Amino acid sequence: MRINRRELLIGAAAVGAGASVSLPFFAPRYHEVRRPARSRVAVLHVENYSPRIVETLLAGLQLFRLHVRDKRIVLKPNLVDYIAGSAINTDPLVVAAAAECFRRLGARQVIVAEGPGHQRDTQLVLWKSGYGSFLRESGIRFMDLNRDELIQVDLRANYSGLKRLWLPKTVMEADFLVSMPKVKTHHWSGVTLSMKNMFGVVPGSRYGWPKNILHWNGIQQSILDVCATVPVHFVIADAIVAMEGNGPLNGTPRPLGRIVLADDPVAADATCARLMGLEPDRVPHIREASKFLGNCSRELIEQAGETVQAPGVPFQVVPEFEFLRQLHSSPKKELARRVSISMQQQAIKVFSV
Amino acid sequence: MHSSIGALAHPVDESTSFLRTQFDRIARRQYNNAIVTTSDVAAEDLRLLLAQKQLPSGGWAALSSSSQTALEPTALACIALGPKFQSAHDHAMQFLLKIQNSNGSWPVFLGDSPEGSWVTSLACITLHGNIEAIPKQLKGLRWLMDSAGAESHWLWKWKFRTTDRHVRFDPDKFGWPWIPHTNSWVVPTAFSILALNQRCACAPDTGSSRVELGIAMLLDRACPGGGWNAGNGVVYDVALAPHPDDTAIALLAFTRRRREPTIDMSVDWLELAAPTLGAPWSLAWSILALAAHDRPVEFLVKSLSSFPDLEQIEDNSTLAAVCLALDYQRALAAFGVTA
Repeated sequence: MRINRRELLIGAAAVGAGASVSLPFFAPRYHEVRRPARSRVAVLHVENYSPRIVETLLAGLQLFRLHVRDKRIVLKPNLVDYIAGSAINTDPLVVAAAAECFRRLGARQVIVAEGPGHQRDTQLVLWKSGYGSFLRESGIRFMDLNRDELIQVDLRANYSGLKRLWLPKTVMEADFLVSMPKVKTHHWSGVTLSMKNMFGVVPGSRYGWPKNILHWNGIQQSILDVCATVPVHFVIADAIVAMEGNGPLNGTPRPLGRIVLADDPVAADATCARLMGLEPDRVPHIREASKFLGNCSRELIEQAGETVQAPGVPFQVVPEFEFLRQLHSSPKKELARRVSISMQQQAIKVFSV
Repeated sequence: MHSSIGALAHPVDESTSFLRTQFDRIARRQYNNAIVTTSDVAAEDLRLLLAQKQLPSGGWAALSSSSQTALEPTALACIALGPKFQSAHDHAMQFLLKIQNSNGSWPVFLGDSPEGSWVTSLACITLHGNIEAIPKQLKGLRWLMDSAGAESHWLWKWKFRTTDRHVRFDPDKFGWPWIPHTNSWVVPTAFSILALNQRCACAPDTGSSRVELGIAMLLDRACPGGGWNAGNGVVYDVALAPHPDDTAIALLAFTRRRREPTIDMSVDWLELAAPTLGAPWSLAWSILALAAHDRPVEFLVKSLSSFPDLEQIEDNSTLAAVCLALDYQRALAAFGVTA
């Protein structure tokens, strides 16, 4: 069969057009691979909230030989709102203990920083949740990230299409940023752990309450873009009393008796998910982040402290995320349904512009 | 409640000594030996403090430690200071006029993108009554008229009716978003209603249908037991709790309305919640809303003025809101709200 010049040109044009349309779907959406060769995680047994957490936490932190001397440490807890008797927020005793540990390890300054996503009155949340008194007594500075000075930052990944965000100076200029999530299930993202916790750095004064722009551009996608851009140096996750069911606000407290430490947010979240009886590979943002931000595979995580064992009964989740529970029979079917919903959302977004 | 300057000459405690010094200066300059109320005194002290935090640009930063001029604190401070602090007030007005975006909106802060944001409503309210500012105010109101929550688009309405029904709301009832291309929320909608209610005599029909739609949206997004939070009343069949500040700001938008059970329930809820509040921002807005709905607030004003460390407030919007609440009648008039 002979191909004339005209057919060759048409064929080449068709291949070129096809490639230009399809390549963006296959090209990596992250700018750089920051995944370490191996990650370290320590699971500490802490039965309940007490001042004795300091000693346990300090012993745990010393396993990591952190270089924090003379550094400015920013602790970013999960402080959303306050509902009496609920396990919504990172417990203030855990944050107080972390602040004390970093001081003992020689930090120049420790700042607690958060931009609550639901409540506009940050002082009210601080006061009601018990943070106000501990901050005052320990002389630790609190920075309201919803109202901090902002700098515009190009995002280091492009899953959400946001391209750039205004982010707080305190976070972007931190020497050492510690994500301190409350271990919870989440009705929109499956779980809310150290990576989802970083939504709190997106300023409400610029983007509103709740930080709706992150929802409109896809929660899983926005988590990836924010975490690719804001470097989390360490994780201290409060799983002493976690939350299951309809989190992040209206779930049920679930005691786990653990604090999880990690030098990699992806490894931390994968470990927390396993402690919850959920399969981390099925959480879209953890799975995708394991390609460039950190390690999800057990083989690539050096484990210290307690062994990671799934609970007898996995954490309850809303029906849309049943596929995260390891006991679920057909994860592929559920995943296909999520993909279909996601594609539908993207299509609507495109057509509604 | 009432006390003379002589009685206040003895500092209540050491933490307010700075303010007492400031007060003595103000008292000598402005009041001589007049009888003033405790809240008058606190309001003047705090207004002076607020004026001192004005940046050279004419605006205020969100936090005292920052030098990035932001619109919300600037608008609230400008209203709070009023013409009594003429120099600071005029400087702030000039700043607001200068930084309006070409599309009629205002940015969240100096240097922000020119697309516009919810603070446009606050800027319009602040400029109201200033003859020189009428063209810019009208341009701002026109931008508000064109701005709507993204759920107003037919395709999103369809989505919220078919596949995305976990948040209970009626997408036909939409208001205003914080920033373009996102949903309507309670606070931006309430401030937009207040701004459009103040539309000037030269454009009396501007926005009445949008105001009605915004009112319907607020009623639709109320929490089942009364009050509002950011705008999610029921999620996954669970009723979410109201927030005092969101409730208070929403209630300000209802003062010219016929009584509805939702409004009455919300005022009742706020009246119960307000005395328990330990944060000045929420208490300040609660005072304004309760006063606007004819509920007694004097004891709340007294409670607010005796809050510890008011002079240490780092958040300039909160400091301005406190000043507004301590002088609530003038503040309500500035928001176009009549009790």
